[in-house]
Formats: sequence, structure tokens, C-alpha cells
Amino acid sequence: MDSSTSSIQEPFDLIRLSLSERVFVKLRGDRELTGILHAYDGHMNLILSDVEETIMIVDLPEGVAEGQGTVNVAKRKMDMLFVRGDGVILVSPPSRT
Amino acid sequence: MSFFGFEQSDLEKEKQRFLEGGIQDTENLAVFTWGEESYDGLGDALQEGGDDLNDETFGSTGAVGKDFDFSNTGGLHDSVALPGYPESSKDPLNQENPVFQTKQTVPAVQVQSSLKSIPSRSLESLWDDKSPFSVLPRNNGTARSTSSSSPFASQPTARGLQTLSHGVSQPGVRTLAEIEAEMRAATQQSREVTVHREKLLRRQQEEEYLREQELLRQQQEEDEYLRQEQEQQRQRYLYQQEQLQIQRLQQQRELLQQAQSTPPPRMLPVSQSPRFLEHQRQILLLQQQQEQQQILRLQELQEQLRMESLERQLRAQQLNNLGTHHRQLSGRSISPQLQHQRRQRSRSPPGTIPLQDNLSYHPQNIQLQQRLLSEMAQVEFLRDMQGSNSVEQEALRMEAMRKIVEAEKLEEKRRRRAAKIAHMSRYNDLMTQSDKDFITRIQVSQLVTQDPYADDFYAQAYGAIIRSRMGIHSQDERVLKFGSSGGIGLGIAPKGGHRRQSAMQKMEQQVERIVSNARRREEEKGLHSLHSLQGALGKTSGRSYKAAPRQLLQVDSGSASSSPTLSHAHAHISKQDSIDAKNKGKEEAAAEAAKLGREALGNAADTSSDLIRKDPLSRREILTCLEDLHDLVLKAEQLKQEEPLPEETQFYSEWEYEYSGVVDQMWNQLKVMAPIATSDPHPFMSLLSVAKGKRVLSRLARHFDNQQMLTMLTLLIACFNQLDVFKQAPLLDTLEDTPERVEVERQTNAFLSNVLHSIVSVISNGSLRLVTGLLGLLLDRNNVSEVAQTQPGLSLLTLFLTRVEVIKEGAAVLETELPTVEDANQWQLMFDHMFEQLTPDFPLLFPSSRIVARGFHLNQATIAVDIIDRPVWQFLAALALHALPEQQPILVHSLREKVLENVVGAKKGWVSDEQERRAKLHNVDLFLSALGLSSSQIDL
Repeated sequence: MDSSTSSIQEPFDLIRLSLSERVFVKLRGDRELTGILHAYDGHMNLILSDVEETIMIVDLPEGVAEGQGTVNVAKRKMDMLFVRGDGVILVSPPSRT
Repeated sequence: MSFFGFEQSDLEKEKQRFLEGGIQDTENLAVFTWGEESYDGLGDALQEGGDDLNDETFGSTGAVGKDFDFSNTGGLHDSVALPGYPESSKDPLNQENPVFQTKQTVPAVQVQSSLKSIPSRSLESLWDDKSPFSVLPRNNGTARSTSSSSPFASQPTARGLQTLSHGVSQPGVRTLAEIEAEMRAATQQSREVTVHREKLLRRQQEEEYLREQELLRQQQEEDEYLRQEQEQQRQRYLYQQEQLQIQRLQQQRELLQQAQSTPPPRMLPVSQSPRFLEHQRQILLLQQQQEQQQILRLQELQEQLRMESLERQLRAQQLNNLGTHHRQLSGRSISPQLQHQRRQRSRSPPGTIPLQDNLSYHPQNIQLQQRLLSEMAQVEFLRDMQGSNSVEQEALRMEAMRKIVEAEKLEEKRRRRAAKIAHMSRYNDLMTQSDKDFITRIQVSQLVTQDPYADDFYAQAYGAIIRSRMGIHSQDERVLKFGSSGGIGLGIAPKGGHRRQSAMQKMEQQVERIVSNARRREEEKGLHSLHSLQGALGKTSGRSYKAAPRQLLQVDSGSASSSPTLSHAHAHISKQDSIDAKNKGKEEAAAEAAKLGREALGNAADTSSDLIRKDPLSRREILTCLEDLHDLVLKAEQLKQEEPLPEETQFYSEWEYEYSGVVDQMWNQLKVMAPIATSDPHPFMSLLSVAKGKRVLSRLARHFDNQQMLTMLTLLIACFNQLDVFKQAPLLDTLEDTPERVEVERQTNAFLSNVLHSIVSVISNGSLRLVTGLLGLLLDRNNVSEVAQTQPGLSLLTLFLTRVEVIKEGAAVLETELPTVEDANQWQLMFDHMFEQLTPDFPLLFPSSRIVARGFHLNQATIAVDIIDRPVWQFLAALALHALPEQQPILVHSLREKVLENVVGAKKGWVSDEQERRAKLHNVDLFLSALGLSSSQIDL
């Protein structure tokens, strides 16, 4: 597989491999996305379709020790989404079972 | 007014106080408003009568408060409106102002008597209070008392003091210097007062004469006072003489002022420009000095005269009753009185007064009065005029105003527009034409690229789509090309707009010129390139020539030729690169050929130990491979665009070489030629497991020839069970809305629309033998029942059957491809085999049945059963067409329940709507008609 290795020269080439594939995107603010990646750019702005967003909401009531709060998970779905690059922490192929 | 109760001692005291200068206490009341512009003329009537009840009105006011509002004393006439003292506040002025008083003897005494009838204590307490406001009126009074001898200066002085020396208490008698200072201050405001003064004087004189007349009448009645009266008159004339001199001086000054561009006296506004006042000061000062002497003399005379007149008047009034003084004298009755006065004057004894002076005064006085009268009349007339025409004038005025406003609006609009234009055209003609050309050149040079079509790809593709949709089949690309070196993408053809079109043409011409110039320059530079580069990185000293200078830049000549501006995906491969690639490709091809040879052998042997077994492609490898494929596809598509005409032999062969190289690369990359047993799944199947792999296949297919496609198809059918869409198909038979099911559905749709679509053309052109062979392969390597239970498999089988049907019909088949009997027999064999294998599972072909079999409850609302079952009915119909007569009953028998279910459901109305009922019947009829039956035949 000479040619396949040669085509990867920079990190973005790995993201390029995931074009039109489902990807997992971790965002700042305890948010996660899974969706089909359609486009990206150097700022890591992404265009995703068929997206499911998962938002972790940590409830830390008064008097409860650190790390004892309950974590609520909110989910929502979007057909098409533009993700601004400054919020992106991680882009990866979804874990395969 | 009451004259009773007037005590001589009071008069004496008054006199005493006056002489002592202590008069200022009462003088505080002196407020003089005659001659003010706002003067309402009431003073005339006030003096002469209607005073009968004054005593009752004012005499009884025992206690007077101290809370007078003196803060309003800024204007002199404001203090007239002192509450409770409308008249008395004015009258003391007359009394204490000898200049004006001398000839108003009767009313003056009357006023005094009325004043005295009020308890003196109250008056004293009124003015002698300690309130801060008491200062103001006191100043008023003192100013008046000292300057009163000069009629023209009396008012201004008061004001001047008020403003200049506010709060400074003045003794009763003042020095000449003080008076001078006051006068000087007074002249500051003298201009605005002169008119008033003039009027004032006239009115005073009128009043004086009127009162004189009254006195004369009294004299006639009382002879004993005649002598005194004459004496008094003589003295008065003496004073008058003095006064007249001053008046003349004043008139001269006024004339002077008027000559200096002042408006007529009656129109003179109260406020004058201070500059003008300043201008007048010099002249006034000179005149004032002359006047000072006269004023002093007058003061003596006034004093004397006043005392005398007071005495006389009091005596006379004591004799007369109160009622005898009823006189209503208005301003209108002045003229006859004036004549009378003149008579009286001529009759009066000359005394010490020079006659000529007296005579010279009279005409002037009369003239003045007449002028005043005429002015008054004019004003009245004008007022009347205005009153009568007010409505008309108002209408006219409104009309005029409206017109003015309109005109102003228009003007404003015009001005704004002009300003806007001016603003916009600020920088007009700032650049010369050559400047503009220069800028354009810079801008255009940015647009020139090596590959205009690719850089303008989306616009070009969109434009092509639009054109084809509009039915215009112009093949021209909207690209400006400059030989082989570059060009500009022009985007989509602009619609309409001749101006824009011409601008575009102009730009094209300009760009062409620029580019050709640039190229020429480039060529020229190329000649001297060696020289021009020498020393560019710094000179080396002559001695170190042997040791080559250290290279700062490592410029590779090979890669330098490729444009760095182009993106990776659209990488343009320069000739050097492409040759390299071709060499590489050839090498690879050679290696592949060797391998293929070995594998072909291995294939034939099948169990050969030569087979290179590999792990199936990892996901990353798949994706990387697909990216490379995409690059290649784009390259191939671009090359296809640049395909030269076959006539240009040299170019064409070059192009063909390059193109075929790219296609070979694609073919290799697709790994179709990898042995079937290389891995499971086969690398090609792995590539197809990804949605974009499926998608790219339809694009690759365009570049492959029929043989390659056939090979691909064979591999696909042979390894059909390795396809993800086959493996994951059972997931579609659930109703659970899981992400996996969604994903499978997506993949299945992608497979059907891309992979099968690109293969259809191969099958639809295939011979019967080919189809038989493919079917045989499918049956050999796969469980046909399972394949048929997947959507792609069912579609593939339907495709085979329809193709064979077409061949059997003999419609679209070429003579050479006419199936031989042997082929037909072979086909029938295969078909029977397939039918046999499918028979037990016919009902399971229906997705709806499978879903029910999996234990899900079918609900019409959640899933459109008839739509998902339709492909199955179509397949069964095709099957039925090919089925032998003995096979048809088997088919009908196994599908009987399904058919009945649909027909009964439709006929008994177990459907939600008409559309569903028709869909059910349509599906059933599709199948039954293939057997020569119909749903209508089914009797329930």
C-alpha cells in the first residue's frame, strides 16, 4: 500500500479520509456530535449532516461535593449543521463495534 | 382726592426734609413709567379725575405689609404694579420729581394730600424696612431725586444706577462729580430712552397746560390769588425757558443720532446695538457738560417754584370743594387746549423771560405735538385697517407661508442632492486612465491560473447543467484560455445586459493583451535567466569561486515546474511528473502483470500454494484507497475535458498515453484483479462497503471499458455475499429505528443507485450466455435464496431475468448475439436450478412477510407494505414469465396466501384509503398478469 501511505502528509489528510463518512466530533462545553462529514476547512469548521448532538449537563447542587453531581444528558438531532471550528476538540471516526 | 386734613406743618416738614436731603425715604416710591413703550396712556386719565374715592381706597389701608415683591424692579414700570399702590406709587414720583412736577402742581398736591391722609407711619414702615429688596427701590428714588432736574436723563440715570452702582446708598444732595458720573452712566442707555423722553416731554407739557388752564379758571374765581398765580406763571415760564433750552439741545442730539442711520424715533426699538451706543457717547458727553450748568440752575429754580406752587395749590384747594375738580380730559382734547394755552401764554406777563425765547418755543412745541398727533392717528388707522382686513390678510399670509415653506423644501431637497453629488464626485478624475489600467492589470493578473476550468470548476459545472437544462447545447466552456499557459474562468454566462457583455469583452481583450505581454517578457527573461539569477543570493568573492557558495535555497528543478497554487485534490501534474508517474505506472503494471499471471495460474488451480493471502483491508486503508481513487477520478475527468481532437496526432497520442495511465492507476487501485480468495471480504468488496466507495464506482465506470466492467461485475457477483449490503440486509427487516438500520438503508440506497446502476449497462448489453454464466456464478457461490431476500440481490436477479426476457423477445439483440439453442438450454438449466432453490422461500421474499416472521406487528401507518413489497412482485412476475408450465402452479400455490391476503384486503376494504387499495391490487395483478390471470377472477 505505497500509494495509500503517501497520500497522508498532514493531519488534515486523516480528516479527509472521513469525508462523507460518519464521524464523532467532540466540542467544547461538554458537547458531542455524530454526523456525516461533508466538508471541513483549515479552521476545522465542519459541515455535518444527519447529526445527533449530545450535551452533558452536570448538575451540582449546593452542598454537594465536587464530582458528586448528577450528569444529565440531552440529545437532539439536526439534518444539517455547520460547526464552527473554534469549538472542535476532536474529530474521529465513530467507534466500531 | 381729599384735600381735607392736610396740615401745613406737614408741608413744612416735607420741605425741611427735602432740604436736608432726607427726602429719599419717600422717594423710594418714585416710579416713573410715562414714556415707556408699554405705557398704556392711562396716566392722562388718572391724573385728572376719578380720584374721589381714592381716600376711601387708600386712606383706610391702615396696615400695609412689608412683603412687597421688589424683585421685579428690573423694569421701571414693573414697580408701578406694586400691589395695593397702583396710584400712590406713581404719585409720589410726581411729587418728588420737581422737574416734572413744577407744572403739575395741582395733581401733585393732591397726591401729596392723599399720601398724607394715609398714616405716615405705614408709609415709612413700608419703605424703611430691612428686607433685602428695599435697596432696589431706594436706589431708584435717589437716582431720581438727583438727576430729576434733567428730564432727558432722569430715567436713564435711574436705570444706570440700578445696574452700575447697585446697592450704593446716596445722600440726598450730591456733588457735581457724582451727577456727572450718573449722567455718563445714563448715556449708556440714553439712546433707547430718547424717544420715550421726547414723548414724555410732550405729554408733560400738554398736561402742564391743561392744569394751567384749570388754575386760571380757579384764578378767575378767586381774585385774591391772581397775583400769586401770575407770579407763579412767571416763574414757571422761566423754568420752562430753561427746560426748553435743554430740550433743544436734546433735540439736536436726537437729530444727530437720527442722521447717523437710526430709524425714525417712533420706530426706534428699545434695544440698540451696543456698538452704536458707544459711537454716540463722545458726542453726548460733550453736550452733557453744557447741560450740567443749566441743570444746576434749573434745580434752584425748581426748588423755588415747587415750594411756591405747593403753597398756592394747597391754599386754593382748601377753598375749593373736592367735586369741582371733576374733569375728564383725554388726549383727544389736546388741540383746543393748546390753542387756549397759546392765548394764555401770550397774555401772560413777560417778566424776566425773554420774549423771543418764549415765542421761538411755541411753534416748535406745536409742531411737535401735531406730529405726535398725526403719528397717533396713523397708528390708529393702521390698527383699524388691520382689524378690518384681518381675515383676508390672514388667508394671504397663510398662503404666502405655505409657498415659502414649499419653496424652502424644494430648495433643501435640491441642496441635499447637490451635496450628495458633490460628495460622490469628490475623487473624480483622481486617477488617470493609465492608473486605472494598471490597477485592472493587477486585479486581472490574480485571476489568471494554470487551470482555469478546474479552478472555476463549480461555476463551470453549474453553468453546464443550467445550459443543458435550458436546452442550449453549446459545448464551449466559459473559460478564457491563453495558449497552454493559463487562463481565466469566466463563471456562468451573464444574462442580458449589453453593457456588462461589452465590459466583459473589453476585459477579455485587455487580459489577453496583458498575458501576451507577460509571456513575451517571460521569454526575454528566459534568455537572460542565467545572468539574472546570478548574484541574486549574494555575491561571492572571486577567490572562493572554487568552493561553491553555500546553497541557501534548495530548489528542485523538477518539482519547481509544478504550480504550488493548485490544491492537492486538483493537483496539476506537470509533464515531468506525469512522465514519472507513467514510468512508475508501467513498472507497477509490469509487476501487476507478473502477479496476475501467477494468480491466473493460481485461480485455475484454485488451491495453489502461490496464492498470496492477505488480511482484509482495514478501514483506514479502505478510506485512503478511496481518497486516492477520488484523486484519480478527478484527474481522469479533467483529462477527459482536455481531450484534443484526434486530428492533432501528436497531442492526441500524448494525451491518450496520459489518460490511459490514469485509468490504469484507477483500475489497479480498485483491486478488482486481486484473486478472489485473497481475503474475505475481497479488497474490492471492502471498497464498496463504504458509501463513497459505492458512489465513486459510478464515476470510475465511465472511464473503464466494457471488459473491465465485465470483470468487475463478475467479481461482484462472485463475492456478492461479502457485500455489506448483503450482510446487513436482515437489519432492514426490523422496525426498530436504530442508527444501524438507518446506516444500512443509506448504504443500500447508495448501492442501488450507484453500483447497480453502473452495472445495468453491462448486463443490458450482455448476451444470453453471459447472463447465464453470471447467474450460474451467483448460484454457485451464494445462497440464492438469501440473495433474493436482500433488496440488491433481488434487483440483480430481476435484472438478469428481464435481460433474458428481452433477448428471448429478440427485439434489441444483434444478429451475432442471437442465442444459440445450446445457450438457451443452458439458461433454462440455470433458471430451473434457481427456481428450485427459491421455491421453499417464496413467501419470505416479501419484506412484509419477513418483518412479520421476525415477530413485529405490521402496521400500515408505520410502514408502507405495498411499496416495499413491490420489487418482489415485480421479480415474481418476471419469474412467472420464465417459469415453465409445470413451475407456474408451484409458484401460484406457494404465493396463494399472499395473493389472497392482498385481494381480500383490498376488496373487503381493510385499507386506510383508496390509494392503498389500488396499490395492493396493482401489485397482485402485476404478478397474476404474468401468469395470464387477474385479481378480478378471484372470487371470494
